[in-house]
Amino acid sequence: MRPSYTLSDRTVGLLFIAPFVTAALFFMIYPVAEAIRMAFYSYNPLRPELSTFVGLANFEYIFRDPLFWDSFWQATVWTFLSIVFQTVFGVGIAMLLHQALAGMAIFRGLLLFPYIVPTVVIALIWRWIFNPEIGVVNHALQGAGLINEPIYWLSTPSMAMASTIMLNVWKYMPFVVICVLARLQTVPLELYDAAKVDGAGIVRRFLDVTLPQLKEVLIVVIVFRTIWTFNKFEEIYLLTKGGPGTSTFNLAVYSFEQSIANLRLGVGAATGVVMMVMLSLGSIIYLRVSGFGEDERAS
Amino acid sequence: MTRNEFWGHTRRLVSYAVLCAVTFLVCFPLVWAVSTSLKPKSEIFSTPPTLVPHTVTLENYKALITGRPQYFQSGDQQVTSGTTPAQFFMRWFVNSMIVTLGSTLISIVISTLAAYSLTRFRYWGRTVVPYFSLLGYMVPSIIFVFPLFLVMVQLDLTDSLLSLVLGYVCITLPFCMWLMWAFMRSIPIEIEEAALIDGASRLQVFWQVVLPTALPGIIAAAIFSMIVSWNDYLFGRVFLNSLDNLTLTVGVMLFFEGTHVDWGLLMAASVLMTVPMAILFMALQRHLVAGFGAGAVKG
Amino acid sequence: MTSKFNRQILGLPIGRRQVLTGMAATGVAASAGLAGPALAQSKKTGVVRVWGEPGPYGGVAVAAMNEWAQKNAPGLKFEIESIPWDGVYIKLMTDLAAKRPPALISVESPIAMQLMAEGLLAPVDDLVDRIGRNRLVDGVQWGYWGAWKGKQYIVPAHHQPHLLLVRMDIVKELGLGDPDTWDWNDLLNAAKAISQKKPDMAGFCMALGRNLCTDYHFAALLHSAGGRMFDAANKFEVAFDSPQTVEALTFVKELQPYMPKGAVEYSFLQVVDAHVTGRTAMSFYWGRTLGRAAEEAKPVFEATEAFNHARNPTTKRRSNWNDFQGWCIPAQNNPFIDEVRQALVYQQTSKDWLIKYCHSLMPNVAPTYKDVADAPELKEHPFYKSKPRTVDTYFKASLANSSSTANELLQGVNPLAGIVHGRSVLAQTVQKVVIDNMKPQDAAKWGAKELSDIRRENMRLLG
Repeated sequence: MRPSYTLSDRTVGLLFIAPFVTAALFFMIYPVAEAIRMAFYSYNPLRPELSTFVGLANFEYIFRDPLFWDSFWQATVWTFLSIVFQTVFGVGIAMLLHQALAGMAIFRGLLLFPYIVPTVVIALIWRWIFNPEIGVVNHALQGAGLINEPIYWLSTPSMAMASTIMLNVWKYMPFVVICVLARLQTVPLELYDAAKVDGAGIVRRFLDVTLPQLKEVLIVVIVFRTIWTFNKFEEIYLLTKGGPGTSTFNLAVYSFEQSIANLRLGVGAATGVVMMVMLSLGSIIYLRVSGFGEDERAS
Repeated sequence: MTRNEFWGHTRRLVSYAVLCAVTFLVCFPLVWAVSTSLKPKSEIFSTPPTLVPHTVTLENYKALITGRPQYFQSGDQQVTSGTTPAQFFMRWFVNSMIVTLGSTLISIVISTLAAYSLTRFRYWGRTVVPYFSLLGYMVPSIIFVFPLFLVMVQLDLTDSLLSLVLGYVCITLPFCMWLMWAFMRSIPIEIEEAALIDGASRLQVFWQVVLPTALPGIIAAAIFSMIVSWNDYLFGRVFLNSLDNLTLTVGVMLFFEGTHVDWGLLMAASVLMTVPMAILFMALQRHLVAGFGAGAVKG
Repeated sequence: MTSKFNRQILGLPIGRRQVLTGMAATGVAASAGLAGPALAQSKKTGVVRVWGEPGPYGGVAVAAMNEWAQKNAPGLKFEIESIPWDGVYIKLMTDLAAKRPPALISVESPIAMQLMAEGLLAPVDDLVDRIGRNRLVDGVQWGYWGAWKGKQYIVPAHHQPHLLLVRMDIVKELGLGDPDTWDWNDLLNAAKAISQKKPDMAGFCMALGRNLCTDYHFAALLHSAGGRMFDAANKFEVAFDSPQTVEALTFVKELQPYMPKGAVEYSFLQVVDAHVTGRTAMSFYWGRTLGRAAEEAKPVFEATEAFNHARNPTTKRRSNWNDFQGWCIPAQNNPFIDEVRQALVYQQTSKDWLIKYCHSLMPNVAPTYKDVADAPELKEHPFYKSKPRTVDTYFKASLANSSSTANELLQGVNPLAGIVHGRSVLAQTVQKVVIDNMKPQDAAKWGAKELSDIRRENMRLLG
């Protein structure tokens, strides 16, 4: 017989999940629900008592605002280019690291390091080294004779976009490296040997053997990174504040600016709802390609 | 030397050369930050810029750690002009530590308990919760930062480190939950059953059998949670008000936004705020790599 | 340790470490006599949060208030929080919405007047009586800092015009004449001549980024041309879509080729940088540039003088944008209103502290009271000896050309300006022209539409 003070299995199970449910309700589900509610209200944070229900007016406002659409397209460009470069460099570096050479652990450590550097720090360093007049990057490029006059990294729309993309690629490329590296380690060596016997060179071997093996993991990583990159806020805000002009605005910066500078929390929230809709679509694709849940059905 | 050996050597040399070049490019921003932070004011703007400072000074670090006051001349008196951001640096450092450790602890406890419950007990919804949790992880913080802020206002928690701890729990919990769930699932249930048959209670089994086995997963989740909390800017910026309560990321930005930027001081601050994460990274890199992919890549 | 930890994460006021302030250095008993009957000693404890703009003067004012606290409220410690200009809005929103406003705010008149019209500030008429109603320097009125519906809400901290800073060595070398006599065409020609003859130097620099600095710099040109955003006399109808706006925008566009290439992203910091490092020969700026140049680039400092702006050729106006920075006291959720009022009077009636305030960043913050402006002690500063005319232009001679977005052409207080700046409407209008190459006429229309939105959404402030 169990002593009466022992908790029943069922009670233990429920007790263990209870803190999570409570936290989820108060600090995840409620704020998201509240964000959706606010999208239908006019809400000035300085005068909360004047908050009124405005129906779809906030959505009408953003869909009619050219800046919203600019932000949307800029975010698309930003995301697309960031992902392309992250993937290309990520795979390249993973291939480099996937060699049995002495000292590889050190290289791996150094190459993964950017991921843990605070965004604030990266943004500050970026502003310092890419400063057109006193920054070291322009100095080096001019010294090497690659450019004749300084590049205005953060002052022209296209260069500012390029700079934010560089920052993003730099910081998140390690993520791709780790995922690809993990997969590479499971590729059977026999495949390469067979290709070698067939006389395939390095390039052929990469295209015919490695890439097909990586296809699955790359799709998953790309979808995942796309969802994340599209909604990034700090990487852009801390480096360019969305400028020059509004040329590096994305939807997150747009939402923040509407909420804070324009004191229109409702409009900011409506933008958030649009972001959430896109995000849900992305997540459904993600769950599909990643194969999560399949084994659940199988078991 | 056979032909094969020769090619082997050449390939290795090329690999090292490429690796060194890539590593240099990736690490350059950080190296430059360290170099700037060690230079005296006169050398920071010198042309051509020097990678290795001619004169190494720890002045900037000393200013941050001891809090250097500023003086101006009025008539024949030296007057201090009140507090400067540098004087709060160490306090902000401690604040960041508190919120990072606090939120990580809470996230880990809640997610470990919940993951155990979800994988070992049968009740309605247990298969859906992890997937919702993963979706929750995808929602960017810009969407719920203001609603969550309004919750904090209602709870009268704004401008406290506790508000930030709760905020970070809310961003880190979904991923920790997902990771712990994936990890718990992979732990074979047989050992626990054996222990239960031997007469151990559920809690004993959890404490003595499950937790030690789950430790690698817990470490991975903790690293993730610490990186996110330490590096966040948005929540700190919105939730905190008074200088005494700021965290590093928010505080350090105050160094920048005036009409005068002390780049040496700023870079020293950047280096110092990266150090804790760097130590963590070096000590636990293995686990980070192991746990990292779990969010994106199955298995 | 544990209790400290608990108190900290629970957000309770915690024991504050003692920070060095000016108190120790001065030891001078200030003239507290004017402060009127002192309250009984305040028993409150804690930190009194005070907002100021970046710069040492906020710290000096707070040091004066701490001197008051030492005698009258030993449990209190005033602490300055420097709010970067571009960070004021987020700070304002989060602090007020969090019901944790600072106890005292020093801020530019556009934001002060927005808060005032929102009804968020405590009136200060009785403080004005105690400070001395007749002390203001010639050419200004109490209302410039902030009065609304017959009540004063703001106590002057300083006035602070941006002027035309000129490297006289370059201007003389190229024989460009006396900047004091220039009109817009002369300024443009000078900028052009310098750009052409000095390959490493821009002729002129102002902020063109999407920020507050651009708003302020452009406002001066707009007002010189006789243009306005709103018509204060006509229920604040939008008056921005005007030939004057087009003229000012066109002028900026004409000047742009002679500015540093990066100017389209410049804010406060970069304009000062450009001048101090010798990358521009002329710039629009407040007195801060000279303060920094004196510390970092002596030759630049020695060669730079400040002038009232070049005249608009038609109106002959030389409008500057004057900060009219003032102290305001949040009325809601402010536990220290009484103490802050006392401390403010103490600081404002101490000539000694007010002189220190001005000395902390010469010639950026100009004295607002006659007794301070004329005090011989104020002149005991090296800048007064090396640049008497420039200091005097900032302090006094600029006042005849004062204007502000919060009080356009001094025709009436405008509570909408803070919102205009929060949304960077002027800067965005300028950027339409300098980045997107929009026609000035169309940019003016775009700006006017934004301003109409602001007016429509905030009619309650005008009532």
